[in-house]
Amino acid sequence: MSLGLERLFHRKRSDQELDEEIQAHLAMATHDRIELGEDPQAAALAARREFGNRALIQETTREMWGWSALTTFWQDVRYALRGMRRSPGFTAVAVLSMALGIGANTAIFSLINALMLRTLPVHDPGRLVELLFKAPRQDHFNAFDWRNYQHYRENNHVFSGLIAASDTPFTIRGAGLEPETVRGGFVSTNYFSTLGVNPVLGRLIGPEDGSPGSPANVAVVSWSYWQNRFNSDRAIVGRQISDGNQPLTIVGVAPRGFAGLEPANPQDIWLPLTASQPGNATTAQYWLKLAARLKPGVSIGQARAEMSVLWQWTLEQEFKANDDRTVREWKMEVQPAGAGLSHLRDQFGKPALVLMAVAALLLLIACANIASLLLARGAARRREMAVRVALGAGRLRLLRQELTEAVLLSASGALLGILLANWGTGLLVRIMGSGRQRVELQAHPDLVVLLFTAGIAILTGILFGLAPAWQSFRSAPMSFLRESARAGETRGRRLFGRSLVVAQLALSVALLSAASLFVHHLSQLQHLDLGFQRDHVLLVNLNTAGSGYDGVRLSRANQELLGRLEAIPGVRSATMCGYFPMAGVGAMRPATVEGYQAKPGERRFLSQNWVAPHYFATFGIPLLMGRDFSSQDQGRPRVAIVNQTLVRYFFGGGNPIGRHIVFDGDSQPFEIVGVVGDAKSGDLQEQASRFVYFNSFQMSRNSSQFALRTSVEPEAVADDVRRVVRGLLKTVAVGKVTTLDGQVDGAIVPERLSALLSGLFSALGAVLAALGLYGLLAYTVARRINEIGIRVALGATRTDITRMVLREAFGMSAAGLAIGVLLAYWGKRFVASLIPGLPVQSVVPIVFGAAVMVALALLAAYTPARRAARVSPMEALRYE
Amino acid sequence: MRKREGYKSGIELLQGTLDMLILQTLRRGPQHGYGIGQAIRSGSGEVLQAETGSLYPALHRLEKQGWIKSEWKSSEHRQRAKYYQLTEAGKKQLISEHSRWKQLSAAIVRLMNPSEEGGDL
Repeated sequence: MSLGLERLFHRKRSDQELDEEIQAHLAMATHDRIELGEDPQAAALAARREFGNRALIQETTREMWGWSALTTFWQDVRYALRGMRRSPGFTAVAVLSMALGIGANTAIFSLINALMLRTLPVHDPGRLVELLFKAPRQDHFNAFDWRNYQHYRENNHVFSGLIAASDTPFTIRGAGLEPETVRGGFVSTNYFSTLGVNPVLGRLIGPEDGSPGSPANVAVVSWSYWQNRFNSDRAIVGRQISDGNQPLTIVGVAPRGFAGLEPANPQDIWLPLTASQPGNATTAQYWLKLAARLKPGVSIGQARAEMSVLWQWTLEQEFKANDDRTVREWKMEVQPAGAGLSHLRDQFGKPALVLMAVAALLLLIACANIASLLLARGAARRREMAVRVALGAGRLRLLRQELTEAVLLSASGALLGILLANWGTGLLVRIMGSGRQRVELQAHPDLVVLLFTAGIAILTGILFGLAPAWQSFRSAPMSFLRESARAGETRGRRLFGRSLVVAQLALSVALLSAASLFVHHLSQLQHLDLGFQRDHVLLVNLNTAGSGYDGVRLSRANQELLGRLEAIPGVRSATMCGYFPMAGVGAMRPATVEGYQAKPGERRFLSQNWVAPHYFATFGIPLLMGRDFSSQDQGRPRVAIVNQTLVRYFFGGGNPIGRHIVFDGDSQPFEIVGVVGDAKSGDLQEQASRFVYFNSFQMSRNSSQFALRTSVEPEAVADDVRRVVRGLLKTVAVGKVTTLDGQVDGAIVPERLSALLSGLFSALGAVLAALGLYGLLAYTVARRINEIGIRVALGATRTDITRMVLREAFGMSAAGLAIGVLLAYWGKRFVASLIPGLPVQSVVPIVFGAAVMVALALLAAYTPARRAARVSPMEALRYE
Repeated sequence: MRKREGYKSGIELLQGTLDMLILQTLRRGPQHGYGIGQAIRSGSGEVLQAETGSLYPALHRLEKQGWIKSEWKSSEHRQRAKYYQLTEAGKKQLISEHSRWKQLSAAIVRLMNPSEEGGDL
C-alpha cells in the first residue's frame, strides 16, 4: 500500500521517463535509418510508423506498473468531486441531509456506547454482576444494609468476591486544599482486589484496613483528583487530609480512568467501610451498593438461583421487623455489571434504544431522498453514460464510479455529522443531568463510535448509490442514443422513483406518530394533577455542615430566617421541609392509628415528612379540614396533619380531627389537627400513599431545604434570598437553588428527552419526505411540459392539468399513508414493549402523523401543480 | 517500403517466449529497448520480430518482477537512453525458462515429425 501510494505520487515522473524512453527509441531508429542513407525527414516518419500506436503502447506499458487499482480509485474520487462541484445545490442538499441523518445516529449511538457498551476499566469486567432489590411496581435499585451484605458475603458459593460501596459526598479539607465537597464512597476492604484494580502509587484499601469498631482512617484518591488537586505530586502518599472532623491519611492513588462503579457518577475518593459512622453497620440502613465477581465456571443463572435462596433470609428478617405482607413480594435480581451499575441504564437505556430506532428511520428517509435525487440526476446523465458505454467504458467501472460518488457524499455527510453529534451528545448529557441524579457521562465520540459512523456512512452510501449505479450499469447505449434526450422514461424506472418517495412518506408517518406518542405522553404527565401548584415556587438548599449552627440554635435561626424570607418583596410565603416534593426521596414508618384494628400482615407503613408552618400554603396543597401548624405548637402535645388518602383508609371519610397516631417504637402519640389534599411526593405516576406531616419546629427537626412561594418569577428573588441568608447566618452557604417546576421536570427527564428528540427527528424526516415528493413532482412536470402543452392545445383546462399532477401526488401519498399507518401501528407495539406507561391505546398519535403527512404532501404538490397549470402551448413548443 | 513489408512478414512471437528472448539478449550485457528489439531481429536472422507494443510492456513487467533492472546512460551516439540489465534473479529465471523451452520445443518437434520417432537420438 505504501509502495502504491509512493508510486501514485511518482506517477508523473514515471510517465515522463516512459515518454523519454520512447523518444530515445525513436531517435535511435531514425539515426540508424539515416546511416542507411534515408532522408532525415522520411527516416523520422518511418521510425514513428514502425514504432506503432505510441499512446496505446504507453497505456499498456503503464498497466504493467501495477497500481491501476489505486489510480483508478483516485480517478473515480476526482471524477466524483468534479461532479459534486458541478452541481453545488444537489451536493449541499445531499450532504446536509446525510449529515443530519448520520449525526442523529452518531449522537444516540454515543449515548448508548457510554451507557451500555463501554466497560469499566477493571480486570475482566464481563464477570462482574450487581445485586438488585425489587419491590412490586418499583424500579429495582441497588441498596442493601450491612447485615444483609455480611450474610450474602459469608454464605454464598458463587462469587469470588462480593463488594459493597456507598455513594457519599465528603467535605475534604487539608493543607493546600480549598475545602470542597468531593464525591466518593465507603468501600469494603475487598473492593479493589475483587475489581482487580492496582494502584499507580502507594496502596489501595485492603484487608489491613480494619474491622468494624477499629477503623483505619485512610483514604485512596482517584488519578484525576491526584492530578487536579495535588498536581501529580508523588509525595501524596502519607498526606493528611480530613473529612469534617475525621482525620484521614492518603495511602494511595487509583489507576487512571478508574472512578468507581458508576461511569456517570464518578468518584474521587474512597474510604474503608469501617471508617463510616459506627451506627451504619448495625442499623437497617439501605445505603450499600453491592457488586460481585462470579467465580470461574459459575454462570449468572447459578448466581441468581443461589441468591434467591439467600434472599429468603432477608425476607424473614424484614417480615419479623415489620409484620407487613407486601414484604413477601420483594425480589432479588442479579444482573451483569461489566458496564457499571445499572441505575442510569435502567432509566435511559430503553428510551435510548427507541431513539436509536427513530434515528435509524430518519437516516433511511435521508437515504431514500438522496437515492431519488441521484436517480433523477442519473436520468439527466443517461446520455453521457450511454456515450461512454458506446465508446468502450467498462460497465463495472461505471458502476464503481457511481458508487464512489455516493460513498463520497455519505462520507462528507458523516464528517459533518460527527461534528453535529459531538455538539449534540454534549447537549443530551446536559439534559440527562437536569434530573435528580448527577450525570457526568463521558459521551464524546471514541473509537467505537467513529467505527460505527464510518460503518453507517459506507453502508448508506452503497444503499442509496446502488439504485442509480444499477441504472447506469444497465444502460443500453444504442437504444438510448437513438431516443431523444427527453424521451419518456421506462415504466420500471418511474415506478422505482415513485416507490422511493412512497417509502419516505411512509417512514415519516411512522416517525411522526412515534414522536406524537412521546409528546402526548409527556403532556399527559405534565398536566397530571400533582396535588400541589408547581409554578412560582423557589427551592433553596442551605449547607449548614461545619457552620457551627446546630440543634436548638439552628432551629431558632431557621425560624428567624423564615420570617425574614417572607419579608422579601415578591415572596408570599416561606417554609422549610424535610424533603421537597418530587425530590425522589421519602421516608416511611409503620404505625397504629387510633380506632382502627389492623389485620395481621396488613401494610402499616405511613409516609412522612417534617414541615414548617406555611408548607401547605407555599406548595399550594389545599387544607381541607382543621388547621395548619403554628409556632405555638412548640412545647405542647405533638400534632400531625394527614392527607385525604389516610383519612379515607383509616376513618372511612369520617372526621379524624383529634384522633391519634402512634408510631412503632415511639410511645408518644400524635394528635391529628388538620387534613390536606393528596400530593405527589416521589414520582409523577405514583398512587397516593397514606401521608403524615409533622411540625419540624415542634419535633426539633432541622432541615436545609427551604421553599418560597412568590408572586413574581421565582428566580427573581434568588439574589435577595442569598443576601438574607448571608446577613443572618454568616457561616451557612447557599447551595443549589432551583424551582419546583424544574424539580417536576427533573422527575421526567427520560420522557422529556424522548419527546424532544423524537419530535426533532420526525420533523426533519417529514421535511425531507416532503422535499422528496416535491422534487419528484417538479421533475415529472418539467419532463412533461411538452405533453402538457399538447394537452392544453387540445383543450385541457387548467383544472384538468392541476388534477393530473395532484392525482399523482395523491396516489403516492395514499400509498405512503397506508404503509405508514401499518408501520406506525407495528412501531407502537414495539415501543410499548420497551417503555411502559405510554398512552398506546390512543389513536391520536397515528391520526396526527397521518394528518401532518397529508398536509405536507398537499403543500409539496402545490407548486408543481401550479407550474403545470400555467404551461401554455407556446411555451411547450419553444421548449422543443 | 519493401523493407517494412519484410518486417511485417516476420513471425509473431509466442506468448511468453519474448520474456525469455529479452533475458537471453541481456546476458550479453546492458542494452536499451531499441537495441534489444534489433538484437532479437538480427539474432534470429530477421525471422523474429519483437513488436514495440509487446516489447515495452514486457520490459516494464520484467523490471517490476525484479528479473531486470534499469539505469539511464548515454548510448554510443551520445543519446541518453534507458539501459536494462540482468539481475541475479533474472539469470535464474532465464535458466528455468530455457529448460522449459527445451522441453516444449522437443515435444513439438516430436509431434510434428512422428516418422523420426525412435530415430537418431
